[in-house]
Amino acid sequence: MESAPICVYLVISLQPSLILIGVAFLLVSSSNLAYPEKLSTYECGFDPFDDARNRFDIRFYLAAILFIIFDLEVTFLFAWAVSLDKIGLFGFWSMIVFLLILTIGFLFEWKKGALDWE
Amino acid sequence: MILFSVFSSIALVSSVMVIRAKNPVHSVLFFILVFFNTSDLLILLGLDFFAMIFLVVYIGAIAILFLFIVMMLNIKIAKIHENVLRYLPVGGIIGVIFLLEIFFIVDNDYIPILPMKLSTTYLTYTVYAEKIQNWTNLETLAMIGAIVLTMHKTTQVKRQDVFRLLRMFRKTQE
Repeated sequence: MESAPICVYLVISLQPSLILIGVAFLLVSSSNLAYPEKLSTYECGFDPFDDARNRFDIRFYLAAILFIIFDLEVTFLFAWAVSLDKIGLFGFWSMIVFLLILTIGFLFEWKKGALDWE
Repeated sequence: MILFSVFSSIALVSSVMVIRAKNPVHSVLFFILVFFNTSDLLILLGLDFFAMIFLVVYIGAIAILFLFIVMMLNIKIAKIHENVLRYLPVGGIIGVIFLLEIFFIVDNDYIPILPMKLSTTYLTYTVYAEKIQNWTNLETLAMIGAIVLTMHKTTQVKRQDVFRLLRMFRKTQE
């Protein structure tokens, strides 16, 4: 695989990210601008009562699980699409069977409204 | 050789940092770094498809799931008790078992080496088609299981009744 252009691209694309983070860090890290009092959370002068986190919605996790399932399906589709001439009719129909079974799960998920957000 | 040693050493160091980092989000980030370096090792072996699949599936999905777990469990950094030696006996035994498994695989004559060029895809969809069938059944089951376990009755989603809209539109035309 031709990885030399990718390596060059990676090195060049790493530079703006590092410059942005590094310059921001360097400019702010002097003790005038980043002492603990200034960095702590503000609650009208009181010490912070509790963490500021919200309750985690479980629908994010469901979306991630569904993503991983269909992502793996797409992975198989990639390999299948590349080798269609070698696997013939049997390979074609085997993949269609896989897609049908996953479509059953997809239909269940759609009808249940698993991805509905209000 | 240099690239191999760089990637493998960073992978090993990152995997140790996964368990030693104080902040759990840092742990997940080191976890992602392990997968990046493993993907680079796969590129060095010439398995570019698997390297990209590692990036997409492992980092893009599995590491994100780990990140969601870290976000879900409200882990405050200051309250983690640093009692490492408590888990040493059982953890040590499991670690030694894993290490022995690695030594069984390396330099073993009983494991067939599959040719890694195009015949993998050919084998996948013809000879090993039933194994992929098992995977699809498992994935559908996982989907249904995840939805059954995590769906709570959401509030009424506002939907459009298309047929009612069409009928009302026809009434405006008269």
